[in-house]
Amino acid sequence: MKARILARANVLKIVDLLCQQGYEVVAPFCGRGRDTYFDTVTEHNRDQVQIHLPNPYYPPKRFVFPHIERLLKLQRDNGEIHIEPTYEEPKRAIFGIRSCDIAGIYHLDRFYLGRDFRDVYYENHRKNLFLVNVACTDPSQDISDDCFCVCTDTGPAARDHFDLQLMDLGDEFMAVAGTPVGETLFTDPIFKKATEAHVARRHAILDETRKHFKTMTSWFSATVRYVSQGEILDKTWEEIGNRCLECGGCTYVCPACTCFTVSDRQIGANEFERVRVWDACALSGFTRMAGGFNPRRAVHDRRNRRFFRKLAHHFIQRELSMACVGCGRCVAVCHGDIGMPTVVEMIRRATTEVDQ
Amino acid sequence: MSTPITENVYLPKTTVLERVVCEIPEVKTFYWRFQDPAEQKMFQRFRPGQFAQVSLFGVGEFPTSLPPSPTENETFFTVRQVGSCTSALHRLNPGDQFAVRGPYGNGFPMEEYQGKNLVFVAGGIGLIPLRSCIVCALQNRQRYQRIQIFHGAKTPKELMYVPNLQEWEQTPGVECHLTVDRAADGWKGNVGVVGSLFKKPGVQVPVDNTIAFVCGPPVMFRFVIKDLLGMGFQERNIVSTLERYMKCGVGKCGHCCIGVAYVCVEGPVFTYEQIKKLGEDI
Repeated sequence: MKARILARANVLKIVDLLCQQGYEVVAPFCGRGRDTYFDTVTEHNRDQVQIHLPNPYYPPKRFVFPHIERLLKLQRDNGEIHIEPTYEEPKRAIFGIRSCDIAGIYHLDRFYLGRDFRDVYYENHRKNLFLVNVACTDPSQDISDDCFCVCTDTGPAARDHFDLQLMDLGDEFMAVAGTPVGETLFTDPIFKKATEAHVARRHAILDETRKHFKTMTSWFSATVRYVSQGEILDKTWEEIGNRCLECGGCTYVCPACTCFTVSDRQIGANEFERVRVWDACALSGFTRMAGGFNPRRAVHDRRNRRFFRKLAHHFIQRELSMACVGCGRCVAVCHGDIGMPTVVEMIRRATTEVDQ
Repeated sequence: MSTPITENVYLPKTTVLERVVCEIPEVKTFYWRFQDPAEQKMFQRFRPGQFAQVSLFGVGEFPTSLPPSPTENETFFTVRQVGSCTSALHRLNPGDQFAVRGPYGNGFPMEEYQGKNLVFVAGGIGLIPLRSCIVCALQNRQRYQRIQIFHGAKTPKELMYVPNLQEWEQTPGVECHLTVDRAADGWKGNVGVVGSLFKKPGVQVPVDNTIAFVCGPPVMFRFVIKDLLGMGFQERNIVSTLERYMKCGVGKCGHCCIGVAYVCVEGPVFTYEQIKKLGEDI
C-alpha cells in the first residue's frame, strides 16, 4: 500500500492539482436541506467542496453511464440516410466518490467492458476517469441509517478500484494510491511520508466507524443462496411486489443498475439522434412487445426480476461482483419500503417461517 | 487504454430495399441489401435462427428474425405490421433506405442435428424463424434423416410462404402437411389446429432420434408441446425460438433477460428443457 500523509488544509489542493492536469473535476456539494449533489468544480465553488456529507442520491454512475446519452446522429438527405456515431471522451476526475459508488463503477466496468465485450461509449467515459475516493469516517455526515456497505463488503473504505483514496485522520488525511496514475500525484510536496502510527490510527478509525452502521443484513449470503436456487416462494415475491409502487426510483438511484432503453428523437428538419436512456425493470412496459404481449405481467414478477438479477450467483460470478453495493439509496427513495435490506429481511422471515 | 476505439456494436449500416412481397394480410417480405458490398458479405455469414436489428429513419429500431438460409444468396425480413417501427417498414418502397445491424443470437446448432429426423411445427407467422432452418436443412438434405413440416394457419389465405410450401410439398423426402382453422376458397386440405395433423391417417411422426421445432402463438405452442410430450418426445429434443422486447441485441439493455439468460445472446433458440427452467411465459 502506497500511503502518504497530507495536512487537512491541503486536501482541496488535490482538486487543484487535478484541474492543473486538465481534468474536469466533479465533487460533492451541499444543496438546501439534506440535498447533496456532484457538480463540476470551478474557481467560484471550489471552496464549497465537501469532504464529509451525506452521499448524493443521484449517483456518480452518470459520469460513466449518462442518464441520457447520444449514441448516433441520423440524417436524411434526398432519401440517402447518413448515420454517424457521436463520441464524448472527457478527461474527468471524480473527487470525493464514496466507497460504495467505487464498487458500483467497478461493477459497471465488469458489465460493459468485461469478458470479450466492449461498449465503446462506456469505454470513452471510463478511459480517462480519475477516481478520488473518500473513506466514510464521519458517522454524523457520511453514514446514514440506510447504509449497509459493511454487509456487501464494499465499505466504509474501498480496498481497490480507486486511483487515490483519502481518509480523514483528524488533523491530517491519509492518501493511498490505488493505481500508478494515482501515485504520480505523490510527487507534489503536499504529500509527506506516512508512519506506522498513521496506519494504526487508520485501523482504529475504521474499527470505530464500522460500529456506527445500523442496518446489518447478516442474512445476505443466505439470501443469495436461496435466490440463486429459486427457493423463494411466489408468495414471498407477491408480498414484496404488493409493496412496489412501480415508480422505478430504486433503479434510477442505483449505482449498479445497467439497463437502458434506446429511442430516436428529432433534433432538426431531417435530423434525428439516437439516445440511450436509463430504464427500469419496475416499469410495466419494460418487457411489453409491440403486439401487446408482456411475458412479465405481474408486478411481483418484475420485483423478482430485480432482486434475482442483483443476487443470483450466476450474475455475481459473471461480473465478479454483486449488483448491490450497499449504498442504501433504494432504502431511502422507496415509498413501499422494499429496499434491499428490507427484501433480505422479508426473505429471511419467510424462509424461517417455512422451516418451522 | 489510449488506443482509439473504432468498433461500435450499436452502429447500424445503411441498406436499400429492393423489393416487397405481400405474404398474407399485414405481413410482407422485404428484400434488401447493404449499400456496402463488404458489409453484405460479412452479414451473409449469419446462421439460421439468428436475428437482426432494423432501424427506420425517424422512428427507431426493432429486432426481427432472419428467415433466409445463409445458403440462399438473399437477405430479407418477413415482418407483420404491428408497432410503429414495423409500420414504418411497411410504408417503404423499393429504393428506399433503412439500416440494419447484426446478425445476433445463437442460431440453430445445425451440426447437432446431423443424422436426425427433423420435425417442424409452425403456427401462422411462426414459420418465419423456422424457414431459415428448413431451407438450410433441405440444401444439405443428405445430412438429415426424415424431414416433416407441419404448418397451420387461420385460413388458407394466411398460409405463409406459399411458393415455398408448394415447393416443399413436391420435394421428394419431405413430408409437408398443412391445415387451416377455417376452410374457405375451395380448401380441400385438413381443417383443425396444427396438432390435429399428428393424428391424421398416413402421418407418422418419428419420436426417436428426432428434433421437433415449434414456433407459433403462445396458445398453439402450449398445445403442441403437450402433444409432443404425449408422443414421448424428450424436453431437450423440442426446440423453439423466443421473442422478446430487445433494444441492444448484445446482452446489455436488459429487456430480454429471462432468469439467467439474455435471449439476444444465449437465445433466441432454446430447447424446451431450457425454456422451462427460465420460468417465464412464452
